[in-house]
Amino acid sequence: MNREQHTGFIPFIKRELKPKGKIVTPFNIIAAITIFAAIIILVIRFTNGLGSVVHASQERPWGFWINFNVITGVAFAGGAFVVTFMVYIMGMEKYRPIVRATILYALLAYMFYAGALLLDLGRPWKVINPIIGNSFGLSSVLFLVAWHFILYMGSLFIEFSPTITEWATLKRPRKFVASLTLAVVIFGIALSTLHQSGLGALFLMAKPKIHPLWYSEFIPILFFISSIFAGLSLVIILETIGRRVFKKEMSATHKNSHSNIMIGLARICSITMFVYLFMVILVFLHNKGLNYINSPWGYWYLVEVIGFVLIPCLIFLFGFKRLNLNLVRIAAGISIIGIILNRLNISTFTYQWYENTIHFPTWMEIVVSAAVIFVQILVFRWIVRRMPVYNEPPGWAIDVKKEQIIYN
Amino acid sequence: MENFTRFDIYDTKGIEYLFVIGYLLLLIVFWNIAKSPQAIKLYKKAIGTVSAKVLRIPQGIFFSRFHTWTHLGESGDAKVGLDDFLQQITGKIKFTRLKNPGELIEKGDLLTVIDQGGKQLEVYSPITGTIVDTNSLLTNDQEMIVGDPYESGWVYKIKPTDWVKETQTYLLADEAADWATKELDRFKDFLAGEAMKRYSSKPSMVLLQDGGEIRENVLSELPDDVWANFQEEFLKIS
Amino acid sequence: MGLKRRNFLKTLGAVGSTLTVGKSFGATSKKEEDIEFYGILYDSTLCMGCQSCEFACAEHYGLPNPEDMPEQGVVRKPNESRRLTINAFNTSKGEQYMRMACNHCNSPACASACLTKAMIKTDEGPVIWREEKCMGCRSCIISCPFDMPKFEYDSPNPKIQKCRMCFELLKEGKKPVCIENCPADALLFGKRRDLLEIARARIYADPENYNHEIYGEHDVGGTGVLYLASVPFEELGFRKDLGKVSYPELNKTFLYSVPAVLILWPAFLLGLRNSRVKENETKPIKE
Repeated sequence: MNREQHTGFIPFIKRELKPKGKIVTPFNIIAAITIFAAIIILVIRFTNGLGSVVHASQERPWGFWINFNVITGVAFAGGAFVVTFMVYIMGMEKYRPIVRATILYALLAYMFYAGALLLDLGRPWKVINPIIGNSFGLSSVLFLVAWHFILYMGSLFIEFSPTITEWATLKRPRKFVASLTLAVVIFGIALSTLHQSGLGALFLMAKPKIHPLWYSEFIPILFFISSIFAGLSLVIILETIGRRVFKKEMSATHKNSHSNIMIGLARICSITMFVYLFMVILVFLHNKGLNYINSPWGYWYLVEVIGFVLIPCLIFLFGFKRLNLNLVRIAAGISIIGIILNRLNISTFTYQWYENTIHFPTWMEIVVSAAVIFVQILVFRWIVRRMPVYNEPPGWAIDVKKEQIIYN
Repeated sequence: MENFTRFDIYDTKGIEYLFVIGYLLLLIVFWNIAKSPQAIKLYKKAIGTVSAKVLRIPQGIFFSRFHTWTHLGESGDAKVGLDDFLQQITGKIKFTRLKNPGELIEKGDLLTVIDQGGKQLEVYSPITGTIVDTNSLLTNDQEMIVGDPYESGWVYKIKPTDWVKETQTYLLADEAADWATKELDRFKDFLAGEAMKRYSSKPSMVLLQDGGEIRENVLSELPDDVWANFQEEFLKIS
Repeated sequence: MGLKRRNFLKTLGAVGSTLTVGKSFGATSKKEEDIEFYGILYDSTLCMGCQSCEFACAEHYGLPNPEDMPEQGVVRKPNESRRLTINAFNTSKGEQYMRMACNHCNSPACASACLTKAMIKTDEGPVIWREEKCMGCRSCIISCPFDMPKFEYDSPNPKIQKCRMCFELLKEGKKPVCIENCPADALLFGKRRDLLEIARARIYADPENYNHEIYGEHDVGGTGVLYLASVPFEELGFRKDLGKVSYPELNKTFLYSVPAVLILWPAFLLGLRNSRVKENETKPIKE
């Protein structure tokens, strides 16, 4: 039995802060440049106003940061609530190896995308207002989304904290936070349902401005269902990348069950996308969509639905049936593009579609968005190299394994 | 009068959200109260009840009738250990009188003595052979719960001399599960007997045969003469 | 256990009674019933396109004077430096003018979308923006069917620019400056109820001259600014597909289900877990 012998808190932190792995790699260099550029852009944004870096106008108030990082990015963080549902509620132990990494990814995603939201606010210093009760705009969907983000980040943090306590060898705290896991998972799933659909509900009042093929009263439900397979598709991609990049950190159990997990996820994605497709068709019928199909926007709609929902659904199906991991990865990639397309269609491209102007973001917006993603990846890597995310928990945590597996 | 004075269709949202918060807290309380009827004060976790359903009987493992198991690995070495039943009714135990690699052990010889605060049980080996390895997880003189008795909780790796002959009478899979159920009933009877001798004033400690489930680690709270009787009844190789 | 149950029921009762009491306080306060909305009636048939209203508004709020004039074929929209515009349209009855500014809806989308209550519908009628609360999220612009709130993109401390019906003046018993300064009496100020009657009276009195519709009577659930014109409103730059239902109603299904989901999901998930966990315990360990 090995005993963690850390000789004190400060030396421990010092040790952990040292970079592990090479400092000068192509990825690190690109990330550093992007982040540096983003900081400069942000200084300009705050001194000269939003309009100096962002391509927003009075007609299109929401730019790339909100529409991409928040409305789209948060969909991909939906993997956490699906995977925790499968493992903690339905007891599908097969997926246990990926739980921690998925929760970590989602936690970082929410933290950084909420941060990106702050960048897009005109007066971010007032963001405290709806939080401290100075003025609760209860009728606002954005109020709900903001509060749910905060509560859900807290839930994800508690779900992740057993890993942190294992890293810092805090045994009694670990017992305590592990006992909270079930309550926080259940709360997290309820919150996720609401804010994933809430992101769609933000656009409900923009009825006259979004193209009728994309707008419906069912937008919240469609956003929720698509977040399920968006999150899982991203988990598939993350696992694929992680298996190569974090080879050292991954435990043998994890490596061995990789294929099993991927095939299982492919099956779930395929079924979910099948259901989503039929929901989309239902909404299409409800909206009398046939009236709009014969137009450039109509064709674009067909491209999105057939090319990026139906086709990846079928590829997932083939990949799962033929046990072909490459097909699964391709399908995941296509469905991710499909989600980005769908979310951007509703929030940007078809917003004020009758103006017939295509709105592209400025290079500065893209750089900042990319920088946010880079920072997220760097933090993820830092944590994975030090904490038992991909590898097995330390020995002293194993005899409380009972609490980990079955909970009550 | 909606169109001439202020009217807000969301004016009750504040109270609704406060109500929901209150509900969630009360749900936790209510859920704990509304547990199924076998719950008594001492019911801790679902896995805390030692019932035949909960005893984990894995595939491919031979059970002796004395609560030890053995499994022949691909390398030709057999692992031996204590079964889940023994682990669950005792709780935190120390493994003492462990043998070293290289020593010979015969079927029926002392495998190890498990110790809990002075109360002891002797466990006997199910097979004959040379000890190849002793599990280092168990050698540190610490009381511990073996969460995984059939995998990481093995006691010795033994190179068996007569595997086939010795394991012929041992139980596998379904048979083992049936036997485990009967052993449990036998254990409940045993406890009832011991209880009636001494603990008629604390009926909560022993729940009875018809539908009652045994509390986890029940032996840990019973004195050493009960342990001695258990040794005689359940672990002695006759 | 009996004590816990008793407390549970007590709390339930207390919450239930506050709910009913709270509701009754909200809905039928006598004071609120006495204050009725003010409104503005704009009669396009009387408007001369002189832009006096635009100049008065700019002067009152310290905004730059308008530099261009109403011109057929060009739609001048309000922006961060002008809250009110007049446009000229070539219609079936010749050149007509139309005002464009915040319509002070009865149930405004912007106020409903605002998460800090920076945009509010006052009891008196005007929909106003409060600087000290605004975060600059621009949800109000997304939600407004008329795209009326305008954001100062080029300022590090950006404000929302929108007609506020000169709310401070209303409190002093005065009229909004655009109405005070209109030489043609095209603008009328008063209680919305009275203005509707006046508008109807004008139509009945002169049916040939007027389009038989008061824009804002029911559109988007009713607005505080009412419009009369001599031609159908589509010819004057109005959209007819905005609906007769107030925009906050579009969120109703979603927002009403939120507490319900928060109540039902945890119970459902707990039950699901309970049944699955017992099932799992009978499975043998496999590797």
